[in-house]
Order: sequence, then structure tokens, then C-alpha cells
Amino acid sequence: MNMFLAKTLGEQLYDTLIKDDRYKYYIEGFFNTILTSLGAIIVGLILGLLIALVLYVNKKFGRLKILKAICDAYIYIIRGTPVVLQLMIMYFVVLVFIPNGIIVAIITFGLNSAAYVAELFRGGLEAVDHGQLEAGLSLGLNAKQTMAKIIVPQGLKTSLPALCNEFIALVKETSVMGYIAILDITFAAYKIQSRTLDAFVPLIISAIIYLLLITILTLILRKVERRLARGQR
Amino acid sequence: MDNAKKPILKIENLEKNFGELHVLKGINENIYKGEKIVIVGPSGSGKSTFLRCLNFMEIPTKGHIYFNDVDLTDKNTDITKVRQKMGMVFQHFNLFPHLTVMQNMTLAPVQLKLKTKEQAEADALELLKKVDLVEKANEYPNKLSGGQKQRVAIVRALNMEPEVILFDEPTSALDPEMVGEVLNVMQALAETGMTMIVVTHEMSFAKRVATRVMFMDEGVVEEQNTPDEFFDNPKSPRLKEFLSKVKHI
Repeated sequence: MNMFLAKTLGEQLYDTLIKDDRYKYYIEGFFNTILTSLGAIIVGLILGLLIALVLYVNKKFGRLKILKAICDAYIYIIRGTPVVLQLMIMYFVVLVFIPNGIIVAIITFGLNSAAYVAELFRGGLEAVDHGQLEAGLSLGLNAKQTMAKIIVPQGLKTSLPALCNEFIALVKETSVMGYIAILDITFAAYKIQSRTLDAFVPLIISAIIYLLLITILTLILRKVERRLARGQR
Repeated sequence: MDNAKKPILKIENLEKNFGELHVLKGINENIYKGEKIVIVGPSGSGKSTFLRCLNFMEIPTKGHIYFNDVDLTDKNTDITKVRQKMGMVFQHFNLFPHLTVMQNMTLAPVQLKLKTKEQAEADALELLKKVDLVEKANEYPNKLSGGQKQRVAIVRALNMEPEVILFDEPTSALDPEMVGEVLNVMQALAETGMTMIVVTHEMSFAKRVATRVMFMDEGVVEEQNTPDEFFDNPKSPRLKEFLSKVKHI
């Protein structure tokens, strides 16, 4: 092919997707992005909720002082450093014994997301009126029962819209996975571009895949949100 | 007052500080079964703090509170057990907005395994009937008026079958036209013999229902008496001044 003549769009599409079965990069990248995002969301949700509970219980009951200090430090470090550095530190240093990059990515993005999720949950829990806590305790429920049955359900609902945003941000954050040589949607474009020497078409295709993915995720989250909001307020 | 009987609540030298602020300055009281104590006084006099110390919503700085001979200030006392027998009704109702009226009323007795779900629901319906809210059993609190919310809050406390109920300004957050319906429920409750301690600004309720009216000022019980004596023949100058300000009743 003549390097000095512009290719038609059709030729570019052919080079990007069909030639040498390059579409397979996108398919693999798509699944790696989804797998990493889902895994990280789950890790982030669970750990984030636990951290938020520690912060809330510490504030309201004055307990768990040491755990609270650990959580504060954790959030401070995670929020103060770029996720791509965290990823490389995990892959090349801390978790160097785990050869599977995707597992490292799930752990890293999960740990990263947890710090943000914790802040969102904490905000949701603290937005629950203090009288709710007193009402639960005045009925003879202990702190744990009051948290589980009264405070957490209300706090979760309050933080849900912000959580959905966090999930969407997380999916896009995983686009730095290429730094540890995992083929995700972004890295797929980069790989194809280095073969075809066209930038436009491979990058645009990646962008469209992200858009579709986020659109579907948004629709699902909205449905969940609506279902959970039913009957309240 | 039957002094031969043991008090249900015995308060000894109760003091409470909020930082530098000395809110309660030593309160000694015996409260007997079936009494209806109404606590009045100017705002900032410590009456709500006193009430909230009784079920440890506020932890006293000094002194002792005995509920049926159990010392609440003893570190080994399981305060949740005490609270199960001491209901509380709040100024702002504090119904659980994510639960229906029925779930609000059955959550604690079922969680604490005091009643089966069926029993708790049957009792709740019975109580709702008494306050004229059966048709609201499956509504969420946002569908209720303020007066209805407070009536639900009262029967929610009652479904725990408490020995005492504390009322912390139960009508202060209500629109004027809804005060009556809540006071009526409280009066009906009083007539069943329930022991009640009520902090309120409703002097007419004090006159009608109280067996003893307490006047709190600056962290102490300044004066207390039967409602007739209290309102018609006040002794301390501060109570006289207070009553002259609320005389419009």
C-alpha cells in the first residue's frame, strides 16, 4: 500500500478490523475491560462499605479508633496518587508474584474504587437523620441492629446515584490497563494503530465501544436505582 | 403518692455537663408506677436533657439512675435491655421512612425476639385501631400527616410493651390543628395506667393529665406539686414568673 496516499475509509476499516483478524483484539479487549470492571466494582463495593461503616461507627459511637486511623490513611494515599501508578506499583512490586495481570488489575482498581465508594457511602450514612439512630436505640435495638436495619438501608439509597457515577468512572479508568500489558478496549486500538499506522479509525472504534458499554451500564443502573427507590419518601 | 412502694425510677444526684456547660446540677427524684409526670420550664432549663438521661440517650456525667433497682450507670448494665422496657417518643417522630407503619411497629419486637412476627403484627393492628390508623398500616410514613406520624410513633413504642414512656416535647413540631389528636392519645394512654414522663409546653395537658408537675430551671427541679397546687399556688418566684408568661392558658 502506498504510504503517501490517503486510504479511503473503507480501506481503513478493512485494515483495522478484517485484515489478520484484527477485530479479535477488540473482542478480547472488550471482555477484559468488562471482567476487570465488574471484579473491581464488587471489590470496591464490599471494601468501600466496610470502610464507610468504620468511619460512621467511629463518628457516632466513638469506637474503632485504630481501624478508623487505618481507613483514613488508606483513603488519603489512594486519593492522593494516580491510579495508573498504583497499577504499576501493584503489578511490578507489591503483587509481582501474581503473574495474571487481570487479577492484579481487579485488585488494584477495586482497592482504588473502595476509597471513593467509602466516601460516598459515608456521606449517605451521615445524611441519615441522627434521630433515626436514637429511635432505633430507644426501642432497645443494639448498635449493630440499628445500623443493619435502619441506618444502612437508608444510607445506601441516598448514596446510590453517586455510586452509579463512580461505577461509570471506574469502567473508563480501567483504560490504563495497557500499562501492565493487558489488552483492553483502549490498548486494542493502540495495538492495531501500530500495525496499520492509521490512528483515526482504531481509536474511534474503541471510543464507540466504550460509549455503547457505558450506555448499557447506565440503563441497567437506572433500573436498579428506580427499583430501590420505590416506596420511599 | 404511695411512698411505701418502691419507685420504678430512682434518680440520685444526676448531673450532666456538655463540655463547660453545666446542664443538670444534681437531680434527686423518685418516680412511681402509674405516675404521670409533666416537666415544664423555660427552654435551656435542662428538662429535655434530664429526660434523655433516663434512657441513656445522654450519658450522665455524675449520679445514678435506677430502673427497677438496676443501676443504669453501672458499666455492666445492658442498656439495650433497659430501653426495651422504657419507650421514648420524640419531638420529630423519627419514624423509619424506609419501612411501612406496620414494619415500623414490628421491627424492634421481632428483631429482639420478644414477639413472633404474627404476634407483633396482631398487636400492632390492635394498637393502630386504638389510635384510629388501621387503614394506614401498609403506608409509608411520607403518606402521613404530622399528627398521624406522632400517633404511630406512640404505638410503635407501645408495641414493645414498656413500663414507662418518655415523651420529649411530642407536640412541639406539630401544626397547631394536630396537637389535639396527639394529646388525646396521650391522655387515653394515661388513663390505662401507663407510667409517663412528659416534657411539654402544653400547660393544659399538664393540668388535665399530670399527677405531678415539675418545674425545671437552670438544671434543677425548682418546684413540683400536684397540678392544682402547682398552677394555682406556685411558691418560688421563678415559677411564678414562668407561669405569668404562659398564663394565656
